[in-house]
Amino acid sequence: MKKILLSVLMATAVFANIQVDTTYATFGEIVKKVGGDKVDVVVLGASKYDPHFITPKPSLLAKLRNADLLVINGAGLEIGWLPPLIKSANNANIQSGAKGFLDISHFIPLIDKPTTVSRGFGDIHAEGNPHYITDPHMVPTIAKVIAKKLSMIDEANAGKYNTNLAKFLKEWDVYLKNFDAKMLTCKDKKVIQYHELFNYFLKEYGFTSYGNIEPLPGVSPSSKHTIETLNTMEKNGVKIILQDVYHERKTADFIAAKSGARVVILPHEMGAVSGTDTLETFYGDIASQICK
Amino acid sequence: MKKIVSLSMLASAILFADSDLDQLKLQIQQLQEKVQNIEKQNAQKEQASIDAKVANDTSSSFSQAAYLPDIGLVLDMSALSRNIDNTAYLTQAMPGFLQSDPNGDFPFNKDNGFNLNYAEVSMHSVVDPYFDVFAVFHIHPTAIEVEEAYVRTRALPYSLLVKAGKFKSDFGRINAKHQHSWAFSSQPLIYAGLFGPDGISDPGVQLQWIAPTNTYLMAGVEAMQGTNTQSFGNVERNNLYIGYLKSSVDLTDDISVLGGISGVTGKNPNGNTNVYGADLTVRAELGNYSSLVWQSEYLKRDMDNNMTSGLTKDKQAGVYSELIYNIDENWATGARYDRIVQNDVGDMSLYAPAGVNTNNLDRTTVMLQYKPFEFSRLRLEYTDDRSKIIDGQRKNIQEVMLNLTIEAGSHGAHAY
Ligand SMILES: [Zn+2]
Repeated sequence: MKKILLSVLMATAVFANIQVDTTYATFGEIVKKVGGDKVDVVVLGASKYDPHFITPKPSLLAKLRNADLLVINGAGLEIGWLPPLIKSANNANIQSGAKGFLDISHFIPLIDKPTTVSRGFGDIHAEGNPHYITDPHMVPTIAKVIAKKLSMIDEANAGKYNTNLAKFLKEWDVYLKNFDAKMLTCKDKKVIQYHELFNYFLKEYGFTSYGNIEPLPGVSPSSKHTIETLNTMEKNGVKIILQDVYHERKTADFIAAKSGARVVILPHEMGAVSGTDTLETFYGDIASQICK
Repeated sequence: MKKIVSLSMLASAILFADSDLDQLKLQIQQLQEKVQNIEKQNAQKEQASIDAKVANDTSSSFSQAAYLPDIGLVLDMSALSRNIDNTAYLTQAMPGFLQSDPNGDFPFNKDNGFNLNYAEVSMHSVVDPYFDVFAVFHIHPTAIEVEEAYVRTRALPYSLLVKAGKFKSDFGRINAKHQHSWAFSSQPLIYAGLFGPDGISDPGVQLQWIAPTNTYLMAGVEAMQGTNTQSFGNVERNNLYIGYLKSSVDLTDDISVLGGISGVTGKNPNGNTNVYGADLTVRAELGNYSSLVWQSEYLKRDMDNNMTSGLTKDKQAGVYSELIYNIDENWATGARYDRIVQNDVGDMSLYAPAGVNTNNLDRTTVMLQYKPFEFSRLRLEYTDDRSKIIDGQRKNIQEVMLNLTIEAGSHGAHAY
């Protein structure tokens, strides 16, 4: 009897998948691509919410408690909700600095790094813009980093992760070639946005952003700032307003009515708007909506 | 014929090669000179820069700036109008719980007019791979106290966590929370009555464990000194033992429930004190930045009391229930109702003269709050407190308060 129990225990130890928690859905999908059937993925923050402020539900502690690896966006995006959860999850694997903690931002060249940092400028991202996930060209780097980390944590399956990675990179390369070609047909390259969520995408494809609906990061729109934005748009002929799913839409609609610009509601994460449940449709939706 | 041609070709090739070699040698010589010059220049430059640095070395060798702790500053102040004069307010008693003590502790919003309640300096740092350290210094206008100072483990196996030092117990729902993170400026009546403004907060150790289940289930035990004189206070040796179970489920993606049961047993100068608690929080996300939070707690105390008529057991209990509506990023509103539901004590005359009604102790509080930004909060609060004896008379306290709280620097993320 003991022997059976022991062998069952050993079997589960040997064949158990590793659990990977990711803070947001897009990372979760990339982990699935690389990890295949060897990993169980748990996404902590739902895509319909503001990624800066996920409600720290206690149920998330149960999800973090069992994680072998925690993949975060980093660059300050999770600072408003994740640190106390990590502290209270009683999981040594995923403490920052531990083997099972992965901050993807450390592998991304961040843009918009402020030269001076003061909350007088609002809730700025002191380490640079953390919203790199909106650029499809970041995906290969993210996949490579995740594959390397998975191979370190689960050496027995390293070969499998590398095979999955190679296959995914090949597919993604084809996808990107197509994607870039389509983006070439995009003519109107002047936009404003609510929060600087899409700067990496805009930079990649040569767009110019003429400002944000929020006067300062994290500060609600003011009528003074809205009028200034309208003036800037008129002066520069800006006709596209990039709106996310989680901020109020009234200001964008008001600006659209006054300026004749169109509001496009873009997903900032996979699944933030309906029909964007794959990596391909997520980026595809951003592209097709901006380049209507 | 062929041979001669090839021979002469070979010879000429060698000749050519000879003159080529000379040229190469020359070039190499020139290059060597160049390199030597550059090396010389570099050496001179290096020496010059060394000279300059040595003469004027301002850079630090042992800078530990990167290891500075995270430091936060909280300021809490208020403007207040109350139907009771300041001197009379200090004589307040709460029947069965708090005797009149004009020199007592009124740390928050004591005065009609303006109050600077406190400045709170908090520090947090990762000590090493094994410990985090956390300290909060609570600075009143007249005193500075170490509100919390503890270490907690980072790397224990089996989902365990140990905390040691002075800390706020995780008993109940609100005990561990600092005043500036409460939904209302005043403490729930039953907490104020049983434990006073600091709650259960003492030197001690804590052990918590999270069950390996998909549903969140946490169990904790604590051993503390037990200095709180309102319920305990017999400190000939450490006397306080606390245990609790907390669990949480998500009913849907947007509706979550957190419940807990807690118990604490300790010693007072007359015998034993036991306090039991149950709490329930339901939170519904209505959209981004918008939510409804309903939080209720019930606390019951059994306390040995040594009367002239002999040993009696005081039995008391109270509840509060609050509903907070977070309207958007900036606005929130809420209401709270407090009530003492049981108040059997041996000698009510300690709290109120004979004949004064000591039943029906309750309080209503409503608030409207505006946050211009994440780190500042203005809160307008109205309180109708029907639980106090003032100057020997049962008297309702009504107050309107504008409260300003600032959180600067590094500060903890938002709690559930
Ligand atoms: Zn942001």
